Amino acid sequence: MEIIFALAIGVLTGSGVWLLLRPRTFQVIMGLALLSYAINLFIFAMGRLAIDRAPILDIGDPTAAAFYADPVPQALVLTAIVISFATTALLLVVILAARGLTGTDHVDGREGDA
Amino acid sequence: MNAWLEHLPVVPVLAPLFAGAIMLFLPESRRSRAGLAVVAVLVQLATALVLAYLTSDAVLEVWPLGIGVYSIGKWPAPFGIVLVVDRLSALMLVLTATVALAALVYSLARWDRVGVNFHPLFQLLLMGLNGAFLTGDLFNLFVFVEVMLAASYGLLLHGSGASRVKAGLHYIIVNLVSSLLFLIGVALVYGVAGTLNMADLGPRVAQLPASDRGLFDIGATILGLAFLIKAAVWPLNFWLPAAYSSAAAPVAAIFSLLTKVGVYAIFRVGSLLNESGVHGPFGSDWLFAGGIATVAFGIIGMLSAQQLARLVAFSVIASSGTLLASAGLAPDAMTGPALFYLVSSVLASGAFFMVTGMTERTRTHYFESSDQAPLPIASYSAFGMEDSHDPLDVEDEVGIAIPAAMAFLGLAFVSCALLVSGLPPLSGFVSKFAMLSAAVEIAPTAELPVQSWIFVAAMLMTGLAAIVSLTRIGMRLFWSVVGRTTPRLRVIEAAPVALLLLLCVGLTVAAKPAMTYVQAAAQGLTSPQTYIDAVLSADPSASTAEGMP
Amino acid sequence: MSLALIVLLPFLGSLVAAFLPSNARNAEAWLAGLVAVTCAVLVADHYPEVANGEIIRFVVPWLPQFGLDLYFRMDGYAWMFAMLVTFMGALVVLYARYYMSPADPVPRFFSFLLAFMGAMVGVVLSGNLIQLVIFWELTSLTSFMLIAYWYHLSEARHGARTALTVTAMGGLSLLGGVLLLGEVAGGYDLDNVLAAGDVIRSHPWYPAILILVLLGALTKSAQFPFHFWLPHAMSAPTPVSAYLHSATMVKAGVFLLARLWPCLSGTDLWFWIVCLAGLSTLLLGAFSAIFQRDMKGVLAYSTISHLGLITLLLGMNSQLALVAAVFHMMNHATFKASLFMAAGIVDHGTGTRDLQRLSGLAHAMPITATLATVAAAAMAGVPLLNGFLSKEMFFAETVFAGQGPAVRIALPAMATIAGMFSVAYSLRLIHQVFFGPRAEDLPRAPHEPTRGMLVPSALLVLACLLVGILPSRTVGPLLETATRSILIDDMPTYSLAVWHGFTLPLLMSVLALVGGFVIYVLLYMHRRRSHGRTPFISRFDGRRTFDVMIIRLIRVAGFLHRLTSSRRLQTQLVLIVCIAAGAALLGAYVNKVAWGGMPVTRVDPTLALLWATGIACALGAAYQAKYHRLAALIMVGGTGLITCLTFAWFSAPDLALTQITVEVVTVVLILLGLRWLPRRIEMDDPRRRTVRARARRARDAVVAAVIGTSMAALVFAVLTRPRRLDLSSFFVEHSLPQAGGGNVVNVILVDFRAFDTFGEITVVGIVALTVYALLRRFRPAVESIDVPRAQREDLERRSQLAADPNEMLPSGFMMVPAVLVRLLLPMAGLVSLFFLLRGHNLPGGGFIGGLVLATAVIVQYMVGGALWVEARTRLKPLYWIATGLLAAGTAGIAAWFTGNTFLTSFAYELHLPLIGTVHLFSTLWFDIGVYMLVVGATVLMLVALAHQSLRSYRRPAPAPASSDLHVEAPSTAEVDR
Repeated sequence: MEIIFALAIGVLTGSGVWLLLRPRTFQVIMGLALLSYAINLFIFAMGRLAIDRAPILDIGDPTAAAFYADPVPQALVLTAIVISFATTALLLVVILAARGLTGTDHVDGREGDA
Repeated sequence: MNAWLEHLPVVPVLAPLFAGAIMLFLPESRRSRAGLAVVAVLVQLATALVLAYLTSDAVLEVWPLGIGVYSIGKWPAPFGIVLVVDRLSALMLVLTATVALAALVYSLARWDRVGVNFHPLFQLLLMGLNGAFLTGDLFNLFVFVEVMLAASYGLLLHGSGASRVKAGLHYIIVNLVSSLLFLIGVALVYGVAGTLNMADLGPRVAQLPASDRGLFDIGATILGLAFLIKAAVWPLNFWLPAAYSSAAAPVAAIFSLLTKVGVYAIFRVGSLLNESGVHGPFGSDWLFAGGIATVAFGIIGMLSAQQLARLVAFSVIASSGTLLASAGLAPDAMTGPALFYLVSSVLASGAFFMVTGMTERTRTHYFESSDQAPLPIASYSAFGMEDSHDPLDVEDEVGIAIPAAMAFLGLAFVSCALLVSGLPPLSGFVSKFAMLSAAVEIAPTAELPVQSWIFVAAMLMTGLAAIVSLTRIGMRLFWSVVGRTTPRLRVIEAAPVALLLLLCVGLTVAAKPAMTYVQAAAQGLTSPQTYIDAVLSADPSASTAEGMP
Repeated sequence: MSLALIVLLPFLGSLVAAFLPSNARNAEAWLAGLVAVTCAVLVADHYPEVANGEIIRFVVPWLPQFGLDLYFRMDGYAWMFAMLVTFMGALVVLYARYYMSPADPVPRFFSFLLAFMGAMVGVVLSGNLIQLVIFWELTSLTSFMLIAYWYHLSEARHGARTALTVTAMGGLSLLGGVLLLGEVAGGYDLDNVLAAGDVIRSHPWYPAILILVLLGALTKSAQFPFHFWLPHAMSAPTPVSAYLHSATMVKAGVFLLARLWPCLSGTDLWFWIVCLAGLSTLLLGAFSAIFQRDMKGVLAYSTISHLGLITLLLGMNSQLALVAAVFHMMNHATFKASLFMAAGIVDHGTGTRDLQRLSGLAHAMPITATLATVAAAAMAGVPLLNGFLSKEMFFAETVFAGQGPAVRIALPAMATIAGMFSVAYSLRLIHQVFFGPRAEDLPRAPHEPTRGMLVPSALLVLACLLVGILPSRTVGPLLETATRSILIDDMPTYSLAVWHGFTLPLLMSVLALVGGFVIYVLLYMHRRRSHGRTPFISRFDGRRTFDVMIIRLIRVAGFLHRLTSSRRLQTQLVLIVCIAAGAALLGAYVNKVAWGGMPVTRVDPTLALLWATGIACALGAAYQAKYHRLAALIMVGGTGLITCLTFAWFSAPDLALTQITVEVVTVVLILLGLRWLPRRIEMDDPRRRTVRARARRARDAVVAAVIGTSMAALVFAVLTRPRRLDLSSFFVEHSLPQAGGGNVVNVILVDFRAFDTFGEITVVGIVALTVYALLRRFRPAVESIDVPRAQREDLERRSQLAADPNEMLPSGFMMVPAVLVRLLLPMAGLVSLFFLLRGHNLPGGGFIGGLVLATAVIVQYMVGGALWVEARTRLKPLYWIATGLLAAGTAGIAAWFTGNTFLTSFAYELHLPLIGTVHLFSTLWFDIGVYMLVVGATVLMLVALAHQSLRSYRRPAPAPASSDLHVEAPSTAEVDR
């Protein structure tokens, strides 16, 4: 289980980084999307993996705290998701504006080499 | 203590938030929004001053340790989020509010109307800055840095135009990546040390088993790297000159604080991790090397800069390099002078960006968006706002040419140049001198480390480079005989510049008390135990405000 | 106290002067003169004390933490210089009053002149070395301003800049030297430093200190090889040249040398450096002075050579030499200043200073001629004038400075030659200007100037005579006081008599006079051939070298900058990721990070399969993103989907819900955006196949692979370690009892760590505002303006049936979906509310609810078309955002009134149908804030983006017909690419 999880994060990060280093704005935004998935999973992993232990309690439920999955990383991931959503949207619009003003979708605003 | 006074630490975050939110109800017209903005900034300034007063030795009965801890939602320290006010935070708050006030008033001249929503964004930027300086929680720091950055994106793009959008694109992408690094760092720290509270970090790290220690250090390193990108360390700062020099003048002025957030974070977190001796960017050697490299980069940048704005941007780089180097050289001895230098250089570069804005008024038509079709009318009704008057006609609304204009500009320019280059007699010199003498005093003269020599040399070099490049550009700006039009100077633009410069003069005259204060602030960094105790011993349930109306 | 006043008064004066009207020549002059005289009187007032060896001190604490106080200190030597500065200042002011033309903006002139006076007095009265450096730099700055007074002349600008750069550089190195000096001597106080002479000389830092300090002093005193700035400073108005560049500022260097003489001199290093600099300057200056064409040029070079003489004397490590040096400082000031004034008078009277053109002015301006002649004679060292005395002392010193045979012969010889040169140029100056045939072709008819310009010069000449004839009566005691204050007890015995009998020095003087005369005669025979270019050394032009150096410096800086920086984003990103990875790997290597000890749980095939797909999607997206955007987008979406399933799998339902909703909105956003990106057909660009491109891709692939693996390793290392329970257990335990919420994650979001959420929604709001601001100015790229094919057909179809925003349903093939969607809206609203309310105890919450509603709204847009929707619903996203923020804020502040801290939760119960009992917490109010903000922000972004398509159609197809085209068009357009 852990292995799959680690591999998944690894691959997401790798392809994200690859796209991040590409010259086209769309590639970069896709890369950032993949990277933020990877990071979210990463943060989530900091609470370790637990199955069917969602931290949702009932009144008068005696189970020890140790039973539940760690809620803190989940909360952090939620915040992270929202923020990355917002910034992705912003980046998208800036990319469009740049494309409109500079006439190219190259990250440097002018046609570099590939 | 007055029950309401107790809530003071959170006000610097709330005041700009409410101001910014309420503004959205007001029409995108000048008066109402601007007025509200000014009021909000004044409130922040007042609050910051009171906080600075409360943290000083003057009144120990309020906060016995001189450190105010405000636990949000009444949850105790390691679990809930706390705001911590010590001398350093208070200092940064005052600085922020001051520069903000100047930049805001300056912007009222016309800059705030070259695009929409300048004032809300400005307020929210302040919210981010204040929060970042106040929070005692690592992840909360991330959140507020994000607030700050998001607003800074908006402000950088304020007025649009190709150059801004191009610079903005790089700025945004680089900062997104650094935010991802920030997240990785925080997550690792939590995953290994099991806490997010900064004060809680030090003790826990000390108890970490050796096996986990390595992982933690990696986390800390990546975290530090994220801070360093914000602090514009070489070679991670290529985005800065373009971004700062293409931003509108008041925006650039307030931006001169942004790099300092990174520096602050390094100082703060670094000091709390101090005993644990973390590797990487928090390790003093790395920090010193990076700082010196940054200074060198700033020097060559200044020398090769062709426009004033870029030159100032490079001086900002050089200044944060200086700060990093001093932190790496000898934190105990240098932090005090370094903070003095920080204050002085922020004020100076803020003023300088504004002066730049005034000098370039005559030559460049400063926004290029003239040929952009506004949205169809339908969508304004949809967005529930009437169209703000077309931003393009603000250009002809410039002040009358007064004879003293050139004189004032010249004087302001010279003062800024003196401050930036660290020439006598202004505070730039005082702070540089203090740092230098601290640098040569860190060891008995016989075995003074070579770093000290490098540092001294770097400082003197920066001064020289600044002189050479500033005289070059300054003479081109002010003494070029061909086609010089007398600049139109407006009091509303001149006053803020004058304010900042006068503050620098004040720093110079009142060097003794100022230095005493920053050294006390540095004390909080060099001996973090007080901070840790204050935070961890804080008991939110002991809130004295029972039975309030 | 009065010491501080002496320094302060000129600065105050300069401040006042700056604000006087620009034509008030008299007022300015009166003010400046008054200030100067007052200062002079104040200084003179202290003579009795300093005469009997007292030292007057006045200290103002400034930065005691670092041993920097304002410490004014006056002893005999300082007194002498202060007197010189203030008295000379008064004379120059008087002179300048008549020299400056009414057209000149005099306030600038006088205010800087006064500021300089203050700075100079500050230098001589400084008792603290750092303070001395401060005033030192101030003199450089004011001098810069004064040289560039006529900044419309390029020569003035250039000269000023050269002077500033050179002297400021000197100042910086002086600062460095003084820092070390203070560190060694244990304090910057002059008393400390002077007392610590032996410590300093024996300290390992001594060479460094010496060199740094000398750099400062020699640049200021225009010593070889830094002499070149002085002649170019002559483009300043003549009063400035007379005051700064002959009498006072250039003396600051030698002043400092004499000031620190007790603690720095006395070593061989000192002897060689200082003497060599002095000697070479002496000869070089004197030699070049002979060949100048400009009167001021002659004087400038002669000043250089005289300063060299003083430096040489100071270098000789003998007390007597020091006395001579101090004596010559005064003498030179007197005769050189008066000569400059004379030059100015000539310039005024004739309109030129060119020696080639001037001739026979003695007839026209006899008084000036007389004065100039006497002064020049003093400069040449003619007996019965003050120059003679000090020069003879100098000759004597060169003879008796016993440093080996070579020196013993060479030094006197050189000195004599220098003497000849100085005689020659003095002779030339006087003879060519005032004697010989009357010059005809002068710009103005020569005439005697007003008395005001003659008086100062006359006074100075009078001083020359008095000192020259009755030295011991006049200057004797002053010199005694001055020198005694430097070499406290080991004063040498010397006599200031005119006649010492037939001695070797006298012989040297005579030789100099005769030789000089001969040289001049030889020169005069072919004067026509000298064009102001100095033979032999003219090609070693220090100034040109300097300029070239500066230009090189800038060019090199530019080169280095291009080398060490990059404007390309890719480079920056590569650097960032590589440094991050490198640092992490280094850390891992240094402290040997290993896997944790926890057992690895069994692999579940389903999840494995899931992630096989996910990984495939990710790779596919990475591969396709350039040419098949839509495909890439879909694949990324797939990855997101699997991520969200993973969250659900590992017991994080909230994350799953949030992820899925966010996913939807993001995809919609990007779909709307895709339309504006340029279409790119695969394999259409040759650059892909260049070697560099391939190499870069290879590099990036490696980087990506390395980083991916290390991330995976990192995660695995953490996952195999036991988890820390402290925080989570606290939250789980306190969630229900204190915070009254079953869904711990949500409770953390709205209560434990509500402050994070608070900031987070602010971010969303800010982004919405920015997006809106940016898109109002959006300008589509030209080729993406024209409507995609799909829509063009669509357009034709519509042009038959008149489209109308006010009709009940959008006409055309969109009618059916429109009906469905309109039914969907209220449903979606309910669902979103449901999520919002249950959030506290079950998965859900404001954010998810908000996104659901926003999605519903945007679907309306996609189906109905912007105008059609807005004709009905008037939603005001900005208001929603604002309300959301305010709600969240007030929810937090409400706690204040219950005496709690910000965002403390409080509750009461509420019974609702369907949903059942709800604990109405302040946190719910907070969550509503989140909800509203998310709705507002998301809708604002989506709508703003959607509206761009409206704008773009304006040009091809005018208004109403085109108006209700709808926004999902871009995606279809994308599909059929």
